Amino acid sequence: METLSLLMDGFAVAMTAQNLFLAVLGCFLGTLMGALPGLGPANGVAILIPIAFSLGLGPTPSLILLTSVYYGAMYGGRISSILLNIPGDEPAMMTCLDGHPMALNGHAGEALSLSGVASFVGAFVATCGLVVLAPQLVKIALLFGPAEYFVLFTVAFATLGGISSTNQAKSAFAAALGLGIAMIGSDSQTGSQRFTFDHIHLYDGIDFLIAIVGLFALSEVFIFLEHHRGGSVGATNATKIGRIMPDFKMIKYCLPSMARGTGLGFFAGVLPGAGASLGSFLAYSLEKQTVDREGKTFGKGDPRGVAAPEAGNNAASGGALVPMLALGVPGSGTTAVLLAVLLQLNITPGPLLFQKNPDVVWGLIAALFIANIILLAMNIPLVGLFTRVLMVPTRILMPIVAMISFVGIYSITGSTFDVMLMVGFGFVGWLLRKLEVPLVPVILGILLGNQMEVNLRRAMTISDGDWSVLVGSPLAIILWLIAITGFVLPMFMGRRMKDRMQKNRPDDLAPGG
Amino acid sequence: MINKTLKMGVVALIAATGAFSVAQAEGFKAENPQCIAPSNPGGGWDFICRTTAKYLFDLGVIEDAMQVQNMSGGGGGVAFAHVTKERNEDNNLIVAASMSTSARIAQGIYEDAEQDDVHFLATFGAEYGAIAVGKDSKYETLTQMMDDIVADPKSVGIAGGSSVGSYDHIKPMLVAQKAGLEDVTQLKYVSFSGGGEAMTGLLSGSVEALSGDFSEMLGFLESGDIRIIAILAPERLKNFPDIPTAKEQGYDVVGANWRGLYMPAGATDEAKEFWKNAIMTMVADPGFQETLEAAAIAPFNNFGDDMYNFVAGSIADVTKLSKEIGIIQ
Amino acid sequence: MSDRIFGGFGLALAIFYIWAASIIKDSFMVDIVGPRAFPYIVGAILGLTSIYFILRPDDEPEWPIMRDFAEILFAGAVMLLYAWSLPEVGFIISTIFATAYLTWRLGTAPLWSLAIGVMTSVGIYVVFHLILGLSLAKGPLGF
Repeated sequence: METLSLLMDGFAVAMTAQNLFLAVLGCFLGTLMGALPGLGPANGVAILIPIAFSLGLGPTPSLILLTSVYYGAMYGGRISSILLNIPGDEPAMMTCLDGHPMALNGHAGEALSLSGVASFVGAFVATCGLVVLAPQLVKIALLFGPAEYFVLFTVAFATLGGISSTNQAKSAFAAALGLGIAMIGSDSQTGSQRFTFDHIHLYDGIDFLIAIVGLFALSEVFIFLEHHRGGSVGATNATKIGRIMPDFKMIKYCLPSMARGTGLGFFAGVLPGAGASLGSFLAYSLEKQTVDREGKTFGKGDPRGVAAPEAGNNAASGGALVPMLALGVPGSGTTAVLLAVLLQLNITPGPLLFQKNPDVVWGLIAALFIANIILLAMNIPLVGLFTRVLMVPTRILMPIVAMISFVGIYSITGSTFDVMLMVGFGFVGWLLRKLEVPLVPVILGILLGNQMEVNLRRAMTISDGDWSVLVGSPLAIILWLIAITGFVLPMFMGRRMKDRMQKNRPDDLAPGG
Repeated sequence: MINKTLKMGVVALIAATGAFSVAQAEGFKAENPQCIAPSNPGGGWDFICRTTAKYLFDLGVIEDAMQVQNMSGGGGGVAFAHVTKERNEDNNLIVAASMSTSARIAQGIYEDAEQDDVHFLATFGAEYGAIAVGKDSKYETLTQMMDDIVADPKSVGIAGGSSVGSYDHIKPMLVAQKAGLEDVTQLKYVSFSGGGEAMTGLLSGSVEALSGDFSEMLGFLESGDIRIIAILAPERLKNFPDIPTAKEQGYDVVGANWRGLYMPAGATDEAKEFWKNAIMTMVADPGFQETLEAAAIAPFNNFGDDMYNFVAGSIADVTKLSKEIGIIQ
Repeated sequence: MSDRIFGGFGLALAIFYIWAASIIKDSFMVDIVGPRAFPYIVGAILGLTSIYFILRPDDEPEWPIMRDFAEILFAGAVMLLYAWSLPEVGFIISTIFATAYLTWRLGTAPLWSLAIGVMTSVGIYVVFHLILGLSLAKGPLGF
């Protein structure tokens, strides 16, 4: 009950005209930044910090503005995923897999409104969880030592098999490629230079934003160049945008997917070493294994494949606030920036934050609820506007997307080297697409590679090289069981599916070399 | 209280007008000033830039808002090379620096870098290192822990927020050396990415102790989740008189991490003077001092020649220490 | 056949990767696993999967004809040139030309392409620089 009255106080703080205006502004700017490839939530918040300060805002209004941007960017990332097959930020990667096929089938409107609702559900439930469970959740997060984190990442890679490609070897190759790219740079454990060849721009590794924008956005441009060369202007095949208002039947159909996605995403968000990308990834891959074991509809525009990862990534973004507020440990790049903001506002996150600055914490949580509702209200009517993007002829849209990608990267890193690297990734992405090597595992490898390795090495250092530490706790053993199930099941299912397909279509040509 | 604030305000005002008159007399005015944080958003260097940008603008020292540019890479090496090679004559550029900057120059982690490649402008704060254990730890004093470490260096895992060989690692190695451990490289140091993550390592019981900056531990100390068994300061802290120093427990080790700024070496003398005065104005501001205090950073001011000598001394210290414990030749 | 060539390249990459991992210089102190073990595992997976591609290739993808391939290479070159020119001539001018080139190659009339280039460039400058306050490349002319 005490919680409730504190929350009410929080709402009283957040509901002033100025704060509401800031929330609306933040939601709008956040959605914009999330939708632009190359600018993710972390950069969005970082970019707006000086604006918040130059406006002379106090701690609570600044936080309201910036968290609205955070949630807004998490919402916005899906827009370009669905419309352009280019993730606006890294957790929105999974939304491409079914969201873009939906748009191609003429359901862009439904995909956008459904994902808006899913985002709302995920973020809303996560915010409730944050209110009720924050202190208990911290205890769960602390059950995860280095060994457990390592096994958790193994789970992610083990369930990769079910994703996107029919050729498991190509998925594995792609994941290894991503992991290999993640190894580039100074080794965080010893400071040794790895694969940098004394090139100073590589010392800090390759930013996943460069990889994601290059692999997805620029390769898309190359593909269009290949197909629409000199004069033959093809109209986009997605001129049909479908219903703009949410389809309640579809939402009801997807509710269980949203619920599962929300649960998994929130859990991943609470773990400081995991984060939103892992949340949306697990939500998608496990959803697929739950409802579509035979791979019939996922990846071809199944609305559940949109609902689950979107609920997952937004729930994770709420969950990530738990360790940030209660431990002062950011679970993602964005929460790292928010942490810096708090510090700058003379607020020290940590175990005492809830006692010491209740007004700030509860004001913040109330702001999250408000931002969520604003985002839902703002996003559903805007679906019509967003889908207009598809009306722009490709020959004009694609160069603009390419330029925005360049600007996004250049304005953050300020380095021409990074822009050139991005062009390189674009070309590699085009080649990989041609060869049907899935791109999602590459990004996943880049995102999780370092964490995975570093946690393994920490676990080994702590145990003095005793490998049994990896199965040293009940939690680790449970995670191993999940990983093994996730790895073995799709192989088994895949074989059964292949058998059935061969039975149904015996005349198919055998694959040739 | 009011009186005190007023007095400090007046001081700030005088300082501010002082800065202006100097700046105007010599005809330098900052235009589109920029602060490079050699790291990603969040973290110490970013904090320096954003705080400086905010206060310089709020105090009217600069007329245009200062842009903060994040340039991560090579533990600050990318930004260092960028400044020395590409913007050596930029009058409107300042860069965040700290103990890590001088330590990395000393250990040769920045390619061929020397102190004179840039102009070290000022320090405005510092904080001491500390060693903490969990609240249920069997170690009540640093001595108990060191006895165990000397008997078996692998028996105590120490977490730290940066890589092997960093200052967080050097500090416990120095203590262990004073305790009589022969090969200090045997110390079990577990490297985490950042002080916050290292703290979770301690809280989850993965490691027995934590080496880091005092400010990072403050919240957890107050909540009772950890105990600080030693602070690496010359004497006990005024606000925390219960925390013993390492020195009084028989290990004469002091570890201070300073925060400050540098700028391109090729900037004009007028510009260097302008920025020195600008930081002086900022340091005199009570609001700024409150920000530092909230972050548990003690005032620590060096300007001009003092600053040059301080950085030179800091680099010499780290070089000497690293040689002593055998981590550089 | 494409998959076999791809496998060959993958294998070469894996060997290069493992070699590059083997020359990682040890720092003065190393943890138990060390900086090389994980890269070796990654390299091994790259190698094994590449061998698999050589042995069991997929269907042939549809490769572009030579002219289209040249088109892609040219576009890539223009993008690289764009990256190089950003700090040299400034954001607005380089963006106008890069956008115009891509728009033209995708089938818009040359003059229109230039107009779209101008609009894109100025539009991005307004949104990113003037509204969001991001630092874009500054050329000798100040924009």
